[in-house]
Amino acid sequence: MLTEGSNVEIETSPVAEVEVLDQVTQPWQVMILNDPVNLMSFVTLILRRIFGYSEEKATDLMLKVHYEGSAIVWTGEREKAELYVQQLQTHQLYAVMEPVD
Amino acid sequence: MELINNDDGTWTLSKVSELEHLMLSRLPDSADSTGCEEASNRLFPSPISPDANLDSGKKSSADSDWKEYIEPELRVEFRDSLKIVADDLGKVQIAKYEDVDCYEFNIPTAHADHWCSALNQARIVIHYSYNLPDEDGVLDMDPNPEKWMATLQSEIYGMLMEFLIKKVLWVA
Repeated sequence: MLTEGSNVEIETSPVAEVEVLDQVTQPWQVMILNDPVNLMSFVTLILRRIFGYSEEKATDLMLKVHYEGSAIVWTGEREKAELYVQQLQTHQLYAVMEPVD
Repeated sequence: MELINNDDGTWTLSKVSELEHLMLSRLPDSADSTGCEEASNRLFPSPISPDANLDSGKKSSADSDWKEYIEPELRVEFRDSLKIVADDLGKVQIAKYEDVDCYEFNIPTAHADHWCSALNQARIVIHYSYNLPDEDGVLDMDPNPEKWMATLQSEIYGMLMEFLIKKVLWVA
């Protein structure tokens, strides 16, 4: 592939370009995994604080974590997902993220 | 033990018994995960889901970046909270309730989050160090007295966290 504005021919792989584009645009989801220690009220409080969710939504997500083992609590750009995971881990919640398939 | 949310930017932990005081005094040391790999892994987990559809190279890179840049920040925050709580615990007072000497702590509202952090860190470390059961509120008469005391300690910390959440943090 040629790049314009230069006499130098640079070859880049279309596959690599698609991969880079995917990394930028692919959404990531933040999940909380169930753990045997965190109190239900504490998980609800932290979800309200970090994401600004209503008490009802935060409680629903907490119960999903408790009964189903995990819940997706946010989806969006990778950088923001990393920030949210850090904030959740700061409160010792078992938070992880993954790219959306 | 009783928690009162005062109107002056403080909360008071009053009517603290001898046993509860003993448990509270163990809080900073109990939150130290050194020597318990499971507790350490739980306090500082990988940021990537175990089920993530990600090739091993990308997962490994994300993990090492996290260890290098984020984990040290988490460690500092956890340590700072423990230090603040240890200082608060050092300012204990004695008060009389029904002719019985009890311990009392007057603590700034701004420290409530640090208390929750310290209590939660300790509960996690205790849970994995003593391999406590996953069910809530199980206080079996375990034949191992250390494990039984660890369960009691974790229950008291959990109760105090519930007080803090409902009476101080939820209304803040």
